[in-house]
Amino acid sequence: MPTALLEPASPQTVATTPKGEVVVSVRGLTKVFKDFWGRPKARAVDNVDFEVRRGEVFGLLGPNGSGKSTTVKLILGLLHATRGHIEVFGHSPSHVPTKSLIGYLPEESYLYRYLNSRETLEFFGNLFELPKQKRQERTEQLLEMVGLSQAHLRAVGEFSKGMQRRIGLAQALINDPALVILDEPTSGLDPIGCREVKDLIKTLAQRGKTVILSSHLLADVEDVCDRVVIYYGGKIQAMGTLRDLLATPDAIRITTPALPRATMERVLELIRKDVAEDKVRIDTPTQNLESYFLDVVQNARRAAAETSGATSGARVAAYLRGSAEEKPAADKILERLTSAQPAPAQPLAESKPVEAVDQGKLEALTKGNEPATPAAKPAAEAQKSAELEKANEKLSSLLGKPK
Amino acid sequence: MMQQVCAIAWVTWKAAFRFRLFLVVSVLLLGAVVGLPLLIKDDGTARGFTQILLTYTLGLISALLGLSTLWLACGTLARDIEECQMQVVAVKPIARWQIWLGKWLGIVSLNAALLGLSGLSVYVLLEWRATRLPADQQKVLSNEVLVARGSARPPDRNKEIDDATDKVLRERLKKTQLNTGDLPEVRKQIREQIKADYQIIPPGYYRPWTIDLGLAHHFLRDQPLFLRIKFNAGAKSDSGTFDGLWRVGVPNRTKLWQSEVMSLAPDTFHEFQIPPNLFDDNGVLTLQFINPNETVLLFPLEDGIEVLYREGGFGLNFARGLGIIFCWMALFAALGLASASFLSFPVAAFCSLGLLAIVLASGTMANAVSEGTIANYDSEKGTKGWTPADVVVIPTFRAILKVISLAKDFSPIDSLSTGRSITWFQLAQAFGQIVLLLGGVFAAFGIIAFNRRELATAQGTQ
Repeated sequence: MPTALLEPASPQTVATTPKGEVVVSVRGLTKVFKDFWGRPKARAVDNVDFEVRRGEVFGLLGPNGSGKSTTVKLILGLLHATRGHIEVFGHSPSHVPTKSLIGYLPEESYLYRYLNSRETLEFFGNLFELPKQKRQERTEQLLEMVGLSQAHLRAVGEFSKGMQRRIGLAQALINDPALVILDEPTSGLDPIGCREVKDLIKTLAQRGKTVILSSHLLADVEDVCDRVVIYYGGKIQAMGTLRDLLATPDAIRITTPALPRATMERVLELIRKDVAEDKVRIDTPTQNLESYFLDVVQNARRAAAETSGATSGARVAAYLRGSAEEKPAADKILERLTSAQPAPAQPLAESKPVEAVDQGKLEALTKGNEPATPAAKPAAEAQKSAELEKANEKLSSLLGKPK
Repeated sequence: MMQQVCAIAWVTWKAAFRFRLFLVVSVLLLGAVVGLPLLIKDDGTARGFTQILLTYTLGLISALLGLSTLWLACGTLARDIEECQMQVVAVKPIARWQIWLGKWLGIVSLNAALLGLSGLSVYVLLEWRATRLPADQQKVLSNEVLVARGSARPPDRNKEIDDATDKVLRERLKKTQLNTGDLPEVRKQIREQIKADYQIIPPGYYRPWTIDLGLAHHFLRDQPLFLRIKFNAGAKSDSGTFDGLWRVGVPNRTKLWQSEVMSLAPDTFHEFQIPPNLFDDNGVLTLQFINPNETVLLFPLEDGIEVLYREGGFGLNFARGLGIIFCWMALFAALGLASASFLSFPVAAFCSLGLLAIVLASGTMANAVSEGTIANYDSEKGTKGWTPADVVVIPTFRAILKVISLAKDFSPIDSLSTGRSITWFQLAQAFGQIVLLLGGVFAAFGIIAFNRRELATAQGTQ
């Protein structure tokens, strides 16, 4: 499936204005950390303005120390703003009843190490004053969802970092929050866990939940966020929808199934009439490593033995799925991972423009199903197959070797 | 609201169990209860037995529990903040005062369990080991210790003494010109002289006291009373003791009783039984001490003479005594939490223990206040000196002592070891003064500090 990236004459600019109820409003927010004597030590957040609306997945993106986590903690009332104004659901961050609408996953596992995962969820359920039955139901569903049902009696302090993130995520969702604030949610998670978290975020957004995601991992933000702010040095450097921010307004991409050489030549001939040859690039889209990894794990899991650690999470908790959604994204990925049937091609595969037109590559691409160089493709396939087998074996040994 | 507060209390319990604090403190407490009487042998008398099994053991239990309470209170909040668990808790719909209250409830309920456990052990051990004492000592024990006794003292003479002091001072001032700076010292010396007149019994003389038993006399008919006395002697005797004779009653008004000649040591308490029905119809008991020695004897107004009578059983009295100790623990919990509300764990623990040390050093402060100066004795002038700091320090000490006395004036261990009643009123008063008033002040301070604290400035240490 070749892809061509072209650079048209006129740039494309699409401004997207968010609509809907404002959930979080931040105006002129500044946070200066001071030393013991009250002297300014660091300006962590500097005159920041943004709004997050209901149903949005809003990303706070930036390098370490750029002020993302400080902003999150200011929104949660864990820090006091030096200047500026924050409203969460129309109230100050210190307004206690508003907190019943918020779920928060901190950047590290800040849970009680001596409690086991069930006790942890029970404890936080009590803080939300959930009735006993509902608390127990949600605890079961969340443990199932984050794949810790088998480890529910182990103390959180004994968990691996990934397992701690999972139980942290579960506690953030115990109250079925309207606003979920996730600080580096995929930190420490394996690729499957990362994908599950991202699918969960999408599911939450489909249910009308608002999600604020703070991360320095570009892939996380890109995969799930509707809008982002990009921080650097405590200031917002860019803000907008991903489409606005990532669009290359002076280029277009055409993706098609493999074309015969003649067709390809004709298309290129047409394009070259308007665009210089060195401006046209052509390549084959590749799936990203995450999708490839998930394929490998799917194969390995077909006969995977039980594991004492975290298992891949199951269905998103029923109370989080709601009834509006027929087939949540998280279900799809979970089904795909647990199904014995081969998975369909990855829909999230990314194309990757690499270089200007290469005649040899073009020749290979235009051959369609016919091998352009009969010896080359089987060799490539054999290499890919060998890599797949190797990865499969490695994962099988990790997850339990099938007999 | 209670569900949230109880959840915080529950997690405090969990921490105490999972970190084995409960186990360690329980073992230490039981070790103190069982081990101390094994280490320190009593002299076989009821008094020695009581001294070890009640005074030392309860004192040690209070000290151990007090320290562990302070430690736990500082740790449970400060470490939650330092290790960032509080960041996850504080973003839930629970007010910070509820978190603080939950922590406090967790610690005090833990203390209640530990105190109950060790108290029960002391009680059982006391009852069991009492059966191994000689019969006469068992009787003394059941009459004087394993009982709840009310107390009556001679009337307070302070007003009379003050009036007499002022009168004498005025007369002296008419005769002699005095420097105004010396007035307090002169007044103090005059007062001591007049007070001595109310306390001393010269050789060959006797001193009468009248003690109003109040409403208690209605249920004291046919009940034996106990005299608890203490005196100081003007000089030492060869034998170390002084003879004395007691007479109780008023001729033609009440029955009369006279003791045998008793040989009594000075500077220590003596307790002996007197027959029933020696008081008059108004419940006034009249007694006299005859001093046949060649030395002047002095019965202090504060604790020289006391009449004790049975009011109730030991079990409930013991429980009320533990109740007062529990009030202290609740105060320690509030103190530790208040410190941890704005300080890191080691600093909070240090500050709390420092404050405790100040309380224990209140005797030194009391001396300074009574002498009116913090200066040392001036050997040249033969008087106490004076420093400019006294202007600030003495009123400060006085204020501190008043605050400390709100908690320190209760002495349940002393009351229990002397078989005195700890009344429900005293327990309620202790709860009001120690828990509600002093604990409330610490709680208000701690909650305000905790409420204002930025919880996300701490870096996780786990």
